[in-house]
Amino acid sequence: MKVDVQSLDTFNQLAHEGAQQATASMTQMTGIDATVDVTKISLVDRGDIGEELGAGSFVGVEFGFEGALSGETVLVFEQGQSDAIVEAMMPGASTDDSMGQSAVQEIGNIMMSGFIDGWAEHLGASIDHTPPGYVEGDRDAILPDGPETSEHDQIFVFRSEVTWEGESVSFFIYMLPEYEPMAELMAEHAETGDDAIPIEKLAVFNQMTQQGTERAAENVEQMSGIETEAEVSQISFVPIEDVPRQFGEETYVGTAVEFTGAPSGFLLVLFDEQSAVTVAEALMPMEMDSDGLTEQHKMAIEELGNIMTSGFVDGWANVLQQSVEHTPPRLVHDMGRAIIDPLAAQLGQHQRHAFVIDSKMKTDEVEFESEIHALPNEQELREALDELDVERADQTDADAGQIF
Amino acid sequence: MAKVLIADDSEFMRNLLREILEENHTIVGEVENGVEAVEVFKEEQPDLVMMDIVMPIRDGIEATDEIKNTDPSANVIMCTSVGQEEKMKEAVKAGADGYITKPFQKPSVMEAIQDVVPS
Repeated sequence: MKVDVQSLDTFNQLAHEGAQQATASMTQMTGIDATVDVTKISLVDRGDIGEELGAGSFVGVEFGFEGALSGETVLVFEQGQSDAIVEAMMPGASTDDSMGQSAVQEIGNIMMSGFIDGWAEHLGASIDHTPPGYVEGDRDAILPDGPETSEHDQIFVFRSEVTWEGESVSFFIYMLPEYEPMAELMAEHAETGDDAIPIEKLAVFNQMTQQGTERAAENVEQMSGIETEAEVSQISFVPIEDVPRQFGEETYVGTAVEFTGAPSGFLLVLFDEQSAVTVAEALMPMEMDSDGLTEQHKMAIEELGNIMTSGFVDGWANVLQQSVEHTPPRLVHDMGRAIIDPLAAQLGQHQRHAFVIDSKMKTDEVEFESEIHALPNEQELREALDELDVERADQTDADAGQIF
Repeated sequence: MAKVLIADDSEFMRNLLREILEENHTIVGEVENGVEAVEVFKEEQPDLVMMDIVMPIRDGIEATDEIKNTDPSANVIMCTSVGQEEKMKEAVKAGADGYITKPFQKPSVMEAIQDVVPS
C-alpha cells in the first residue's frame, strides 16, 4: 500500500481543522482563547505514544469510534488546567469533584464531536463514536494502548497540541486509528504519482531509526559510562512551518550537521543544559572546577554529537548499501525553535512538508536526556524508501575487520 | 618509538588520542583537516597517521589518497565515527591500512596500531 504526500497533507489538515474546531468549541464555552500549535501524523511504536506528556497528571475524555475509520481518540488537559477550564464554564464547579468531572466530560464530548465530524464529512461517510469516558491519571492511565494488531508494532497517531494564548499551558488531542483501515484509506486517497510512499517501508525505516537510536545510546554509554537507553523513535509528517513549533522554548546544547546521500538533510543531537554538563563531565578525564557550560564541555559535546550522528545514520547507509556523508558538527546552543528554524527554512525552499524523525534517550542513573532529530529531504527520502530492500533492514552494522 | 601524526578536527579527540598514544609513541603533529595532514606528513614523515574521516576543508579519505600517492609505504589508520560499509570500502581504495570506529577503548587502538606498525 502506498500513500502520497498530498493525501498525507490532507489527513494532517483534517486533523488540524478538527483540532481547530474543538478549540473553537472550548473558546465558545469558556471564553479562553487558544490556538492549535502543532498537528502531526506520526508512525510510532505503541509503547511510545504520548511521550511528550512526561510525568504529568492529566484529566480528559476518551472515545471509541467506528465507521469509515475505527479506533480510539482522547483529549486531555493537565490536571491543574482543567480546574481553570471548569471554573470558566461553571464558576464553583471545580471544588465539587463530581461536577468537575462531569464538566470535563461534557466539554470533551463537545470538542471531540467537532473533531470527528470533520473526518466524517471529508470522507463522505459516517463515523460513530461511543459516549465519552472520563480518564484521569498519568500517561499510562489516560492513553489507550492503541488498536491491537498482530502484524504491526507501530501505529499511526494524529496528535494536536493546543496552547492557551498568552499562557504556557496546553492540552492534547490524540487519535489512534486502527492500522489497516487507516493505511487502506490513505492508499485509496493516494495518487500513483512520483510522490507515493510505500507505507510498509515507512514502518521499516522507522525500525531502522530505532536501531540507530540504540546505537547512538550505546555510543554515549561507551564514551561517558552513563547507562543510556533509547526511549522513543518516531517518524512524523508536518507542514514545514510547524516544524520549529515542536521544539519549544527550552534552551538546548548540541550539534547540527548537514548530511548528504540517501537521503540528504539535517540532523540535530540536542541536550538540555544540565544534561550537557552531566555528559560532558563524564567524558572528560579530569573534574572541571566550574559551574555551567565551559568551552571544554562544549568541545566534548561537539565530539559526542559527531559520534552519535554517525551511530544514527550509519545504519541507513549500510542497509541501503550507499554512503551518507555528513559535515563536521557545528555546535549549537540556543532556544530549540531558534536552532531548528534556519534548518527548516532551508528545507522549506524545496518542500512544503517535512518528515521529521525524532528519537529520545535517557537514563535514570543521573540527570541526562538527549534527543536526536533528523529532517531529511522529502523527495530523497521517498527515493531512499523506494530503493529500500526490507529483507536487508536488519543489516545496519558494518564490520571493518572483514573489509580490512 | 614510532612517530605518529594525529589528524582530527575535534580537539577533544586529539587530546584523547594523544593521552592514549604518548606513552609509547612520539606525537609529531596534531592537525585538524586533511590539507594540514598532508602538509605535516610530508614535513615529518611519521611512521603512522591516525586519520579522522569527517573533517573540514579536505576529508580524511582524500588526504589518505594523497599521502599514499606521495608515499605508498605510509601507514594510515582511519579513526572515525563513521561505521558505514561503503565508507570503509572507500578507505580501502584510498589505501588505508586500518579502521577504528569511535568511540574506542585504548586496547582496540593499540591492537590496530600493532597490526599496522608492529613494535
